[in-house]
Amino acid sequence: MSTLEKRPYFTRTRLIQFAVGMVVGGLAGYGVGQLAAEIRLADDWRWSDALGMIVACLLFTLGAVMLVASFNRRAIGAMLDPGDPRPAGPPQVRLARQQGWVLALGGAMMAAPILAASLGLPYGLRAAALAGLIALFIVQTVFNLAFWQSADEVMRRMVGEVSLICFWVLQGALFLWAAGEKLGLAPALSTWDCLTVLMIFYLAVSAVIGFRRGFA
Amino acid sequence: MLNRLKVLRAERNWSQGDLADRLGVSRQSINAIETGKYDPSLPLAFKIARLFGQPIEAIFHDGAADAPGA
Repeated sequence: MSTLEKRPYFTRTRLIQFAVGMVVGGLAGYGVGQLAAEIRLADDWRWSDALGMIVACLLFTLGAVMLVASFNRRAIGAMLDPGDPRPAGPPQVRLARQQGWVLALGGAMMAAPILAASLGLPYGLRAAALAGLIALFIVQTVFNLAFWQSADEVMRRMVGEVSLICFWVLQGALFLWAAGEKLGLAPALSTWDCLTVLMIFYLAVSAVIGFRRGFA
Repeated sequence: MLNRLKVLRAERNWSQGDLADRLGVSRQSINAIETGKYDPSLPLAFKIARLFGQPIEAIFHDGAADAPGA
C-alpha cells in the first residue's frame, strides 16, 4: 500500500483507539470519583482542586497508556502515528517512553498535593510529601530534558510555540486579575488556582498547536 | 513556503516514513512539511537538498516568482 494515498481520518485504528480511550478514561474517572467519595474529600474541595484532579487523572492515564503501549512496537506506532502502518522504531519507542514518564509523573505530582492536603496530615508528613514532590520534580525534569534532546525540530518548535502563547496570554491574564484584585474588584486567587488554570490552558494550547501541525 | 517534496519522494517510491528515517525526523514532521504546515529550518532544508541531489531553490520556493509583476 502506498503511503502517498490520502487516508480517511476515521480509520479502523483511530476508532479502536477512541473506543479504548473512552473506556480507560471512563474507568479512571469512575475510580477517582469513588476514591473522592470514599475519603469524603469532595465537600472540602475548591474548584481548583476538582479541576486539578481531573487534569491529574488525564495526565496520569495518558502517560500510563503510553508507557504500557511502548512495550509493543506495533501498538505504540499506531498510537503515535496512525498514518504510518509500520511498527515504531527504537527512537520512537524511546520518545514515547520519555513522554509517557513526563505525563504520568506530571499527573501524580498534580494529584499528590490535593490528596495530601485533604487528608489532614500532620506537619511532618506534609513536609515529607513536599520532599517527595521535589524528588519527583527533579526526575520529571530529567525526562523532560531527555525528551527535548530526542525530539526533532518540528516537535521542538511546537513546544516553543506552546510556551510562548502560554507565557503571553497567562501573564496578561494574571496582570489583569491582579489589578482587579488590588482594586477590590476580583476575588483573590491562590497559587494553586493559578497553577490549575495554567495547566488547563497549557494542555488546550498543546492540543490546538499539535492539531494545526498535523500531529493529532 | 511551497515545496516539491511529495513529488520527489514519489519519484523514488519512498513513503513518508522512508524519507523521515533518511532525514532523522518523525513521519509527522515530513507530513507537516509536505502539506505546508511547517517550514523546515535551513539545516534541515540543506539536508533534504543533499538527499535529493538538488539545490534548495529547486525544492522549496515562496511562490514570489509566480506572483503578477514579479
